[in-house]
Amino acid sequence: MVSDRFDLGGGEPIITLRDVAKSYWRETLEIPVLQGIDLEIPAGAYIALMGPSGSGKTTLLNLIAGIDRPTGGSLEVCGYELNNLDDDELAAWRNAHVGFIFQNYNLVPVLNAFENVELPLLLTGAGRGERRDRVEQALTLVNLTDRMRNYPRQLSGGQEQRVAIARAVVTDPDLLVADEPTGALDAKNAEEVLALMERLNAELGKTIVMVTHDPKAAHHAKRQIHLEKGVLDRTVEVNR
Amino acid sequence: MRWVALIWKSLMRSKRRTLLIVGSLILSVFTVAVLQSLLTTLNSITDNPNSSNRLVVRHKSGLTQMLPRSYETYLRQQSEVEAVCALQWFGGYYQDPRNFFANFASDETTLFQIFREEFGASNITEAQIKDYLRDGAGCIVGESLAKKNGWKVGDVVPLTGTIFPINPRLTIRLIFKSPKPSDENALHFHYKVLEEGVPRMKGLCGSFWVRARRPEDIPRLIERVDRHYANSAYETLTETENAFNLAFVKMLGNIGAIIQGITAAVVVAILIVTGNTMATAIRERTTEISVFRAMGFSSSRVLSLLLAEGVLLVGVGGFLGVLLANVAAGGVRASLGAAMPFFADFSILPSTVLACMTGALAIGLLATFIPAYAATRRPITEGLKAVG
Repeated sequence: MVSDRFDLGGGEPIITLRDVAKSYWRETLEIPVLQGIDLEIPAGAYIALMGPSGSGKTTLLNLIAGIDRPTGGSLEVCGYELNNLDDDELAAWRNAHVGFIFQNYNLVPVLNAFENVELPLLLTGAGRGERRDRVEQALTLVNLTDRMRNYPRQLSGGQEQRVAIARAVVTDPDLLVADEPTGALDAKNAEEVLALMERLNAELGKTIVMVTHDPKAAHHAKRQIHLEKGVLDRTVEVNR
Repeated sequence: MRWVALIWKSLMRSKRRTLLIVGSLILSVFTVAVLQSLLTTLNSITDNPNSSNRLVVRHKSGLTQMLPRSYETYLRQQSEVEAVCALQWFGGYYQDPRNFFANFASDETTLFQIFREEFGASNITEAQIKDYLRDGAGCIVGESLAKKNGWKVGDVVPLTGTIFPINPRLTIRLIFKSPKPSDENALHFHYKVLEEGVPRMKGLCGSFWVRARRPEDIPRLIERVDRHYANSAYETLTETENAFNLAFVKMLGNIGAIIQGITAAVVVAILIVTGNTMATAIRERTTEISVFRAMGFSSSRVLSLLLAEGVLLVGVGGFLGVLLANVAAGGVRASLGAAMPFFADFSILPSTVLACMTGALAIGLLATFIPAYAATRRPITEGLKAVG
């Protein structure tokens, strides 16, 4: 089903974008990447951002995740107007509210699985015992408790991504952002990761915004948002 | 996991690179510590606070020329003079020419007065001095020298002359301690042993060591003594003890400038090497640094972690370098201290350790700060290569 509105309904919005624009400058040349983005995403949504290369989907994801700033408009995410936060406040906000899942996992190679998952908790002030409990819970969730002392080089791609997912959820964030989370995986591992993300959304109520080129991956989301040349083109509710 | 564990693991991500840079730091800090300590030791020769009211009177033409011992009478007559001691470098060895140490024929009656600061640590009794004065074939030796050769009071020390054709057999009457180890590597015997054994030395000596009553009398005394003997057959050159010692140090050339030049070159080289290593290490972690920041690590926290890595790296290298220099200093003291007495004082002083560690840490901070600051200012999205 194709929707003609970008208010995705379904309850209190966790992400609200008003007339958001983003441009990059190459010397004196302004390159607009996103223009006039108005979007509301409700808490508990599972969104796939789709579109051709250069359409601005990763830029939109970065703005929602607070790792980039818009050149126009406003973003309210998890109850915070991001434009009002300075860099340090924005960093603390990300630690508390956002979990990141990257295409290439981006685990720290010199830390084992347990230590990689523990990393974001170092900023929370949690004690050693509490950190250990939370890391073990997160690794249990991704079914990797038997690999917690393994280093990334000792894990398969699918296992690495599951460790990355455990790292993303260990601080119990409201929002998970994933940039091509299955882009580096084979079909079997991709399916496992997508199933895990579905569980995080369905069972733990995590809001997920995922950028993907892969229609199969997008099919796991509840709704797809398509971008075209920096503007929202259409939303598609996924029927399964 | 603790912060320090995170820093240590990050540092050890490339063990070979880390070991190589630590190795080069050890070598650099070792070199700087040893050279600076050498300079300090040489400076101490010419900056002896105990010698502030001592003068050396010698022949104007050089140390190999002798002065008449009769000059002693004139010197004693000067109201500013407290004591005069005739002293001649004997240059003998014990058993083996390689077993070389400082030995002198000296006026036994005034020796203890002239060098009272050097003998001050010995608690020498009047009875011991009398023993030495009574025995014309007696000698006194420093404790370090006695220990090295296993000598004790009453032992006979046969010396083989190299400058003078006599081989005196001397009985140890006193073993003295000195505040400075270098002063303990010496042997003194009665001047008359030399005068009686070497006819050409009768009534002559190489130098007079004069103790003035007050340091402020010294310039006047120098001027008067040299003027008195000007145009005589034996013209004098009178100078302070520090100036006399400086003449020996100057034989090594401008060693201070050479040492400071080498130190500067080592510091610049290690700054470049450390800076390049840290820049490479940080550049390799561009994505990782962005991931840290995405997870909520602030720029200042990431900067602190990277600086801590740099400081830990040079801290370990600096500490080991200083430790190695200390071990080497002990070896130098043991092997060269007797032959070249000033090496008996060779040590890595706390001030040198402090300067080396401060310098190493400053290099670590400086070499890390520039690439680390640039890495933490780079946009996160750029680091992730995630522009869509």
